[in-house]
Amino acid sequence: MIKVSNLKKSFGNLEVLKGINAHIREREVVVVIGPSGSGKSTFLRCLNLLEDFDEGEIIIDGINIKEKQTNINKVREEVGMVFQRFNLFPHMTVLDNITLAPIKVRKWPREKAEAKAMELLQKVGLQEKANAYPDSLSGGQAQRVAIARALAMEPKVMLFDEPTSALDPEMVGEVLAVMKQLANEGMTMVVVTHEMGFAREVGDRVLFMDGGYIVEEGTPSEIFDHPKHERTKSFLSKVL
Amino acid sequence: MDFRFDIIQEYAPFFLRGVLLTIGVSIAAIIAGLILGLMIGLGKMSTKRLIRLPFEWYINFFRGTPLLVQMLLVHFGVMPLFFAQPSATVSLIVSLSLNSAAYVAEIFRAGIQSIDKGQMEAARSLGMTHAQAMRYIILPQALKRMIPPFGNEFIVLIKDSSLGLVIAAPELMYWGKAAAGEYYRVWEPYLTVAFIYLLLTLSLSKLLHYLERKYSNQ
Ligand SMILES: Nc1ncnc2c1ncn2[C@@H]1O[C@H](COP(=O)(O)OP(=O)(O)O)[C@@H](O)[C@H]1O
Ligand SMILES: [Mg+2]
Repeated sequence: MIKVSNLKKSFGNLEVLKGINAHIREREVVVVIGPSGSGKSTFLRCLNLLEDFDEGEIIIDGINIKEKQTNINKVREEVGMVFQRFNLFPHMTVLDNITLAPIKVRKWPREKAEAKAMELLQKVGLQEKANAYPDSLSGGQAQRVAIARALAMEPKVMLFDEPTSALDPEMVGEVLAVMKQLANEGMTMVVVTHEMGFAREVGDRVLFMDGGYIVEEGTPSEIFDHPKHERTKSFLSKVL
Repeated sequence: MDFRFDIIQEYAPFFLRGVLLTIGVSIAAIIAGLILGLMIGLGKMSTKRLIRLPFEWYINFFRGTPLLVQMLLVHFGVMPLFFAQPSATVSLIVSLSLNSAAYVAEIFRAGIQSIDKGQMEAARSLGMTHAQAMRYIILPQALKRMIPPFGNEFIVLIKDSSLGLVIAAPELMYWGKAAAGEYYRVWEPYLTVAFIYLLLTLSLSKLLHYLERKYSNQ
C-alpha cells in the first residue's frame, strides 16, 4: 500500500529524516513510537506531501507521489489525516466540516455527502452534534469529528499524528475506541502515538524511531517484550 | 467672542455639496483600494521572490511617503500624461485609492497569515487545491478578522480626503477654506467642517461595530 525508500528530509541544516525505509501493507495498523523530536511527525507529513522531502521515494497505491505527472491532490484524496490539534474548521458546523471535501473535491451531491456524514457521526457517537460548531465540542468530541471528516473522503489509508496528545486524560479512551473500531474494520493505518497500550493491542507492527532513523521494527510483542536495541530499551523504560 | 451662525447658514449649500463629494470620493476610493489592495496583498504573499518584489516596493512607497506628495505627483505629474485637463476630483480618488491599496494589502496579508496553518494543512490533506482551501477555509475566517482594520482604514481615508484642498478638489475641506477666506473667519467654517467629519467618522464606526457583532455570531 505504502512503500517508503531511503526517505531523507532536512529543515535548513537540520537533517530530520536520515534515510527511512518502510513498507505498510493493506489492512495493516503500523504504530510509530519514539522520543519527541525524532522525526515521527515529519515522516508522517511526508506521506501526504504536507512536507516536501529531499531524497528518496514514496509509492502509495502504486503511485510515486513526487513524480511530475502525479496530481498530489488526487493522492491526498486517498490518504486521510488526523492531527494532534484537530484542525476543525471553526466557521462551519460539524456537518459542514465533514461534507465540505466530499462535495467540493469528490463532487458528490449534497444529499449523498450528508447521508455519509450522518452515518459517520453515528459511528463516532456524535450524531446529535451535527449542527454544533467546533467551539462547543470537548477535545475528545472534536477529535472524533476530525476522524469522521477524514473518513468521509473514503480514504484508503489513515494517518494519525498523536491524535490523543492534546486531550484531557479522561477523553483519550473515547478517541482510541473509535480508532480501534476502524482498525478492526480493516482500515490501513499509520499511527504516531505515545499510547503504548493501544500500540500493543491494536498495532500489527511497531516502528521505533530515534534521531531520524527507524531504529527497530517488529510486532508489538517483539518491540515491547524483547527489544533488541539499547535505544529502544531505554526509551521504553522511560515510557512504560 | 461672537459666533456668527449666519456664515454657516449662508455656506450650508456649499458644505452640503462638499460633504456629498467627500462621501462619494471616499466610497469610490475605498472600493478601488480594496480591489487593488487584495491583488497587491496576494502578490506580496507569493513564494517567488521576483514576483513579490514589485508588490513589496509598491507598499513601501505608498506607506513610506506622505500622501500629500503622492497627491501632488498624481495630479500635476501623472494625470496630465493622460488628460489635457485633469479633474482634481479624479486625481483625488486616484491618489487615495493607490494609497489605501498599500494599507489594505498589508491588512489582507496579516489577516490571512493570522489563520492557524493547521487550517490550510487540514484542507489540503482532504484533497482540496490551494485555491479551494483559500476560498472555503482561509478567506472566510480571515475576512471576519479584517473587518475592524478595514473599517479603520476607511475612517482614515475619509479624513485624508480633506487633503484634496491642495489640488482644489471641491470636497468638504475645500469649502471650509473658501468660507474662511471669504469672511476672514476661522472658528465658524473650520469648526463646522470638523463637526461634519466627526459625524461621518462616528456613524461609520457605529456601522462597523454593528457589522462586527453581526459576523462574530458565526
Ligand atoms: N517546519 C519546521 N522547520 C524547522 N524545523 C522543524 C520543522 N518541523 C519540525 N522541525 C524539527 O524537526 C525535528 C523533528 O520534528 P518532528 O518530526 O515534529 O518530531 P516528532 O514528531 O518525532 O516529535 C525537530 O527537531 C523539530 O524541531
Ligand atoms: Mg510530532
